[in-house]
Amino acid sequence: MDRVMRAFELTAAAFLAAVAAITFVSVFLRYLFARSIPDAYDVCSLLLGILIFWGIAATSYRGEHITVDLVWSVAPPRIKRALDLFAGVLTLICLATLAWMVGTKVTSTLNDNVRTFDLRMPVWIFYFVAWIGLAATVILVGLRLVRTQMQPSADSR
Amino acid sequence: MSTDAVAVVGFIVLFVLMLLRVPVGIAMGLVGVAGFAYLTDIGPALKLLAQSPIRTVTSGEFAVIPLFLLMGALASTSGMSRELFRAANAFLGHLRGGLGIATIAACGAFAAICGSSVATAATFASVAYPEMRRFNYSQSFAAGVIAAGGTLGIMIPPSTVLAVYGLITEQDIGKLFIAGIIPGLVAVGMYIVTINIIGMARPDLMPAGERSSWRERIAASKGIWAVILLFVFIIGGLYGGLFTATEAAGAGAGGAFIIAVLRRRLSGAEFWQACIETVRTTASVFTILIGALLFGYFLTITQTPQKVTAFLTGLGLGPYGVLVLIMIMYLVLGCLMDAMAMVILTVPIIFPVIKELGFDPIWFGVVIVMTVELGLIHPPVGMNVFVIRSVVKDIRISTIFYGVIPFIVTDILRLAILIAFPILAIWLPSRM
Amino acid sequence: QDKPVQLKLAHWLPPSHPLHPAFEAWGKSLQQASGGSITFAMFPAQQLGKAFDHYDMARDGIADFTYINPGYQPGRFPIIAAGELPFIMKDGKGGSQALDAWYRKYAAAEMKDVKFCLGFVHDPGAIHSRNKKVSVPEDIKGMKIRPAQATMASFVTMLGGTNVQAGAPEVRDILEKGVADAVTFPWGSIPLFGIDKVVKYHLDAPLYVSTFAWIMNKPRYDGMSAKQKSAIDSHCTNDWVLKITGPWADFEDSGRAKIRAMAGHEVYSITPQQLALWRKAAEPLEAAWADGVRKAGADPVVAMKEFKDSIAKYNAAY
Ligand code: NA
Ligand code: NA
Repeated sequence: MDRVMRAFELTAAAFLAAVAAITFVSVFLRYLFARSIPDAYDVCSLLLGILIFWGIAATSYRGEHITVDLVWSVAPPRIKRALDLFAGVLTLICLATLAWMVGTKVTSTLNDNVRTFDLRMPVWIFYFVAWIGLAATVILVGLRLVRTQMQPSADSR
Repeated sequence: MSTDAVAVVGFIVLFVLMLLRVPVGIAMGLVGVAGFAYLTDIGPALKLLAQSPIRTVTSGEFAVIPLFLLMGALASTSGMSRELFRAANAFLGHLRGGLGIATIAACGAFAAICGSSVATAATFASVAYPEMRRFNYSQSFAAGVIAAGGTLGIMIPPSTVLAVYGLITEQDIGKLFIAGIIPGLVAVGMYIVTINIIGMARPDLMPAGERSSWRERIAASKGIWAVILLFVFIIGGLYGGLFTATEAAGAGAGGAFIIAVLRRRLSGAEFWQACIETVRTTASVFTILIGALLFGYFLTITQTPQKVTAFLTGLGLGPYGVLVLIMIMYLVLGCLMDAMAMVILTVPIIFPVIKELGFDPIWFGVVIVMTVELGLIHPPVGMNVFVIRSVVKDIRISTIFYGVIPFIVTDILRLAILIAFPILAIWLPSRM
Repeated sequence: QDKPVQLKLAHWLPPSHPLHPAFEAWGKSLQQASGGSITFAMFPAQQLGKAFDHYDMARDGIADFTYINPGYQPGRFPIIAAGELPFIMKDGKGGSQALDAWYRKYAAAEMKDVKFCLGFVHDPGAIHSRNKKVSVPEDIKGMKIRPAQATMASFVTMLGGTNVQAGAPEVRDILEKGVADAVTFPWGSIPLFGIDKVVKYHLDAPLYVSTFAWIMNKPRYDGMSAKQKSAIDSHCTNDWVLKITGPWADFEDSGRAKIRAMAGHEVYSITPQQLALWRKAAEPLEAAWADGVRKAGADPVVAMKEFKDSIAKYNAAY
């Protein structure tokens, strides 16, 4: 599992490196050659979406979302576990709904023939890749929920 | 139920969910969509989920956040934080509490290329804490200094919190960054004075080190050109109007990368590790952003921001009275919440009030950063404190909070100074 | 007794924009015509969603009426894009009526998931540049331009320039920093967004217009009483097009004189020969438009003829 997660994060990291590289190169092309990269803005934006959704998958699996721990941190183990179950199930339902709706967005973007400004690349492909991150998030949150309920110590960070 | 009642119930449910440890972003998104569904219909509310999140994560201007985070991660990985600490120590180490003063100075300098407080605190917890302990500084003092120094990360530009504030309120991020410079320097100065005062009261907590020779000082300062170059490059570019904020962030990340590679300080594995850390932080920030925007649509159709504005301005407290009320609210929220989450949740509601009261939006950006900065170190929840605890294993959370107390007092004093003298924040950006 | 409804009217312009009061006046008149059973709340400045999403927002019922620029999403609304072709219209009022009268029939197919209420254009805009006068198509080569809509973006690419994207409020910033060299913009909006501080040269020729539509959520309309429906219908007419766009067209048009009077600005026109070059250069755009229309299952020859007839009828041809 850790190797799968690692692969996920590395892919997201690669998209981040691409965003940074495109932004950096754009600035230099502009000042040195007065040129700009076609679709740089659209591509950066779309890659940003992909890296965030893929990143959310890893964050969710590791349980690194920002939470308010005030009650949780002072609760006895049994309550802690109940809170984890409640929050976990709710998170799972919310993310599943989100993945479902973003899925409809992918298909409607395909059907509506939405394209980028310069190169007229189909936008739905980027959305689809981002969506894969969300779908993975749902699966990973499910796995995590099962794992933390079976061995609560895994989440006593 | 009237829309007002729906909004109030929405807030209550939100806080209950958060206390039950539902992730902040999920809780906001859930309440936002459910509230929207209650006031319109389930179909449109679900469709909100099809549109808003993907639009949020593919908004090009938001790239400013991961890019500034990446710059800080690369700078830290390639050892720039260590160099700063060495140089600061060579100059300041012989003073009473010299290692503490050097830590503050190095934090301030590192903050000039790192946009995150938590990252600044984590970096110096591993760089400066062991040094201070080696010279018999007390645990609480050493950790307190680092927690406070870490807050400089979002005060001194670049700053992710100021960037998010600018994105939410449509203020110029470049101007906000420039506005943070003088208050940031004031913060450094006041922290150093605080250490001096603690030193006078409790000299046993902090021995003075040996005075370094000028030769040693010059030797220790050799490496800091990289940090200076990066800072001048990005902040100079912003100040001079050469870059947009996103470009400055991209140029800074690229610059940090090139410098690290040229100095042979960055292996492939380290590079990817820096990228991965940035992705993690970015993902948790955007989870909150997505949730907050969904919550925002709910608040919009209940017209909550307008009503809060009308209520607060109708209290007859005068602008400063309302401002104090808002500050108190932030201090209370700071007991519970992460700095970024607080800004994202509250600014859409508070900003109209601030504008209505006639305060300067750039100045308020700096005020709000100072306020949430306090939340990073004051108990019971303080992200910087937790981060230090996760790096330094042998210390109790309560010990760190104890060490932080003097700096909290300084912070409140500094906030009062900034409110009394807005010119500290407004003057520099007005010269742009 | 009609069931009372409150409609959410959403647009993405600042409240200071001339269209905001126009939409408000439209809403008040609608409220009156419905005998008070229809009320409304305005959501300006992207409060309910980003500019790009306003079509989907009306389709999905997130808002009930929205203001859209079909040209923000290249390829999605191929037929109405005829309005974006260069050098077709000379003024915003007649042009708006012409577009609306012509497009109604096509809207039923092209914007089939919403109820089309009104279509319009803004007063013709031109190229405003920082430090290079643009007089012939050749001048675009190597320039970085923020286009107003998809057809202009194609034009820029075709002529060897590159496109820079930015929302209207950011245009000033990207010009100031040299991210873009020029912008296609209507005249009055130049001072409104502070762009006059950063550009110097203004081409005075009706290079382009952007198309807009005011659309409604379908289920919302279908669920209304007969009286409410007729109130809505009576506010989705060609007459209302003029009432909505009239003040805006005047505002944009007056911008030209305002800029002309400003020190340090050069407003220049082009010769008939130069215009001929532009028209020639723009020919592939019309061919590309025709392709898109054919793919969408309509006849571009007929559609273009009807469009030009409509423009002639409303006396808006350039
Ligand atoms: Na910083
Ligand atoms: Na706190």
